[in-house]
Amino acid sequence: MRQRKLEERVVITGMGAVTPLGLNVDETWRALVAGKSGITRITQFDPSDLPIQIAGEVKGFDPTDYVDFKEARRMARTSHLSLAAAAQAMADAGLGDQVPDGERAGVVMGTGVGGFDVAIEAWDTFRTKGLRKVSPFSATALLANMPAHHISLRYQCQAYNSTVVTACASGTQAIGEAAEVIRRGGADLMLAGGIEALIHPILIAAFTIMRVLAADNDHPETAVKPFDARRDGFASSEGSAVMVLERLDRAIDRGARIHAEVIGFAANTDAYHVAIPDPEGMGAIRCMRWAIENAGISPNEVHYINAHGPGTEVGDPIETRAIKAIFGERAYQIPVSSTKSMIGHALGGAGAIEAMACARTITEGIIHPTINYQVPDPDCDLDYVPNVAREADVAVTLSNSFGLGGQNACLLLGRYEE
Amino acid sequence: MRRRELQSRVVITGLGMVTALGLNVDETWQALIAGKSGIAAVTRFDASELPVRIGGEVKGFDPAGYMDRKEVRRTPRCAHLALAAATEAMADAGLGNTVPDPDRSGVVMGVANGGVEAGFEGWETLKAHGPRRIPPFMLTAMLPNMPAFHLGQRFQCRGFNSTVTTACASGTQAIGEAAEAIRRGAADLMLAGGAESMISLCFYVSLSVLRVLTTDNEHPERAMKPFDARRDGFACAEGAAVMVLERLDRALERGARIYGEVLGYAANTDAHHFAIPDPVGAGAARCMKWAIENAGIAPGEVDYINAHGPATEVGDRTETTAIKALFGEHAYRVPVSSTKSMIGHASGAAGAIEAVVCVKTMDEAVIHPTINYEVPDPDCDLDYVPNVARRADVDIVLSNSFGLGGQNACLVMAKY
Repeated sequence: MRQRKLEERVVITGMGAVTPLGLNVDETWRALVAGKSGITRITQFDPSDLPIQIAGEVKGFDPTDYVDFKEARRMARTSHLSLAAAAQAMADAGLGDQVPDGERAGVVMGTGVGGFDVAIEAWDTFRTKGLRKVSPFSATALLANMPAHHISLRYQCQAYNSTVVTACASGTQAIGEAAEVIRRGGADLMLAGGIEALIHPILIAAFTIMRVLAADNDHPETAVKPFDARRDGFASSEGSAVMVLERLDRAIDRGARIHAEVIGFAANTDAYHVAIPDPEGMGAIRCMRWAIENAGISPNEVHYINAHGPGTEVGDPIETRAIKAIFGERAYQIPVSSTKSMIGHALGGAGAIEAMACARTITEGIIHPTINYQVPDPDCDLDYVPNVAREADVAVTLSNSFGLGGQNACLLLGRYEE
Repeated sequence: MRRRELQSRVVITGLGMVTALGLNVDETWQALIAGKSGIAAVTRFDASELPVRIGGEVKGFDPAGYMDRKEVRRTPRCAHLALAAATEAMADAGLGNTVPDPDRSGVVMGVANGGVEAGFEGWETLKAHGPRRIPPFMLTAMLPNMPAFHLGQRFQCRGFNSTVTTACASGTQAIGEAAEAIRRGAADLMLAGGAESMISLCFYVSLSVLRVLTTDNEHPERAMKPFDARRDGFACAEGAAVMVLERLDRALERGARIYGEVLGYAANTDAHHFAIPDPVGAGAARCMKWAIENAGIAPGEVDYINAHGPATEVGDRTETTAIKALFGEHAYRVPVSSTKSMIGHASGAAGAIEAVVCVKTMDEAVIHPTINYEVPDPDCDLDYVPNVARRADVDIVLSNSFGLGGQNACLVMAKY
């Protein structure tokens, strides 16, 4: 592993998550290990008129557990879920409501679209009742940087602040870029993660037209089938995960418990097509290779790959080929699993949720399965940890996120060792 | 100045922009130093039912010059503008259509909103005709990462790729982040900038509700009055600007003409309010201070400040307060001007356009004015270079961008 100075080593000291499988990290992780699906019939609106009627909704979430009622009304759901994940991460890091040094604490969030649901409401209000009835809060809900704003406001993180918008790679890239900010001395502590909360007819309809959604409305729990020959798409979902990242020496100084270390990161683009991945997976190959090089390890040291694994016809075999191109014969010995098989595809939130799953894999010594795996596909012939979780000593994880616009981001986490 | 090693020094070797004042760098620059306004009545949509009917539109731009017509229809206007600016920047850098090493070349673009209007059109289609009539490229057209995608694809920049979405600070932050990507060794060459096209009904509705737009529909050219006591908001504008940034040693090796150097950068947040800047400008002052520290210079060495200067009542006052807090007496000696007085506020593109303007300021030794400045405001008492351009030797510039969500980004650039 690359020998980095203490002040350039970045560790994860807190995690929070709100997903279709649970309202916190523990609930989500237990369900992942149990192989449960979070995909159900859509309840946030009546989906009867849509060809696809299933999604991964966060269930039973009450924003007023985290934000006071008046404030909650002034935010989009993207901000609600992000604030919940951030609050959990802060508590998990033993920080409560206070960062050690506001001027040395920052935020990077990744998101795909932003609060488009509230923007549509504002649009309809404008159309039916006129400009005077549109609230200034809904007018700004569209801005993708609102979750990062609300997190920084809540915890007075006054240093570096950014929102990374690289489609389905956003959450992974946000964590990677936040680690880079600490490495370059821009902050000592970062809240970093991803968010998407757009279970909305317009998004379901748009994905349907693009033919990327799993279509089995009658069996939502078995609809998403990554790497299985019967796969027909992903389930659109929502969720957020936020991590507290700290400069190692600062974390040690304050006696923080360390979950894992961020050891490598890369992000790039296929430079190929706006909606179709490079069929040779060249961009994905380069991204994995650069992230592994950035970590200063050899591919042989990777013990687990959290796949992008969306369950699409095109995406899964390309990722499989790319993994084989990097890892050669050893590709067949590395467990590869898809968190999306259970959670669905939370777009900008996905990579951050999957990074949380990777950290848990390291600390718990358990790899969650790829569920709904029954019929092997000759083009997808790796060990996908089918259907049942597996105990394993995992010291280094690689998490892949590949998205629309050819966006790729890869993140390596390592077990913390002095 | 901070002593950086050759491989962590980042220089500017190409410039491109498309703005309300012109379809390239030269046209825009000539209009800026002539003190012309690019604000006019909106023509891109019917604004008659709105309180604001003016804006800074890019005029006479044909995207078909940059991509085929079929692709034009599937692609948001911000990406068209970005591609035009990048094409100019690549040519200006002497690179044409190819970068020296695709794997070592990347893209960072700043985009505040992107082509979201496609989503509203899709929503109307969905309500009227059902889900099966939605255009297949609606979703990708909405994504803010489309400008960065198209730049990466066109010029085969296969390295680091990102889109920074920090409202009005996006363009400045994108250039800063691109420089950092080079410094950390992730790339040798970056296309960096910003792109935005918000001249459409949905954005005008949002901005009208926020009451940040000037409503002087009768006199569009005089509507934007930054730092003037009569100021009443900004004009919404569109545009794009892209720079070619290179690692100094690589630029020297290929004999590139070097415009200047990215010396320092910082981005932060007020952590105050989603729409109102911190009234004492503490976040803005910290951001300027950190960018100047990052550059390794003293505040007294800054020769020119390109202000955020949006012409809002609070924004201009806060920025003036922040400049005085940081620069002390030097604040009264530094020329400060607002590009937005002429171009309007191009949101995610604004900071990138202003960074290009800063480079031209050093290169041409001319500071463009803040136009429409007539009635002094006691709260805004700096030298805003009123109405007339000024010759000046400018070695170091500071460019400010402050935006919704309390987003701040500052960039320090210097002559090479």
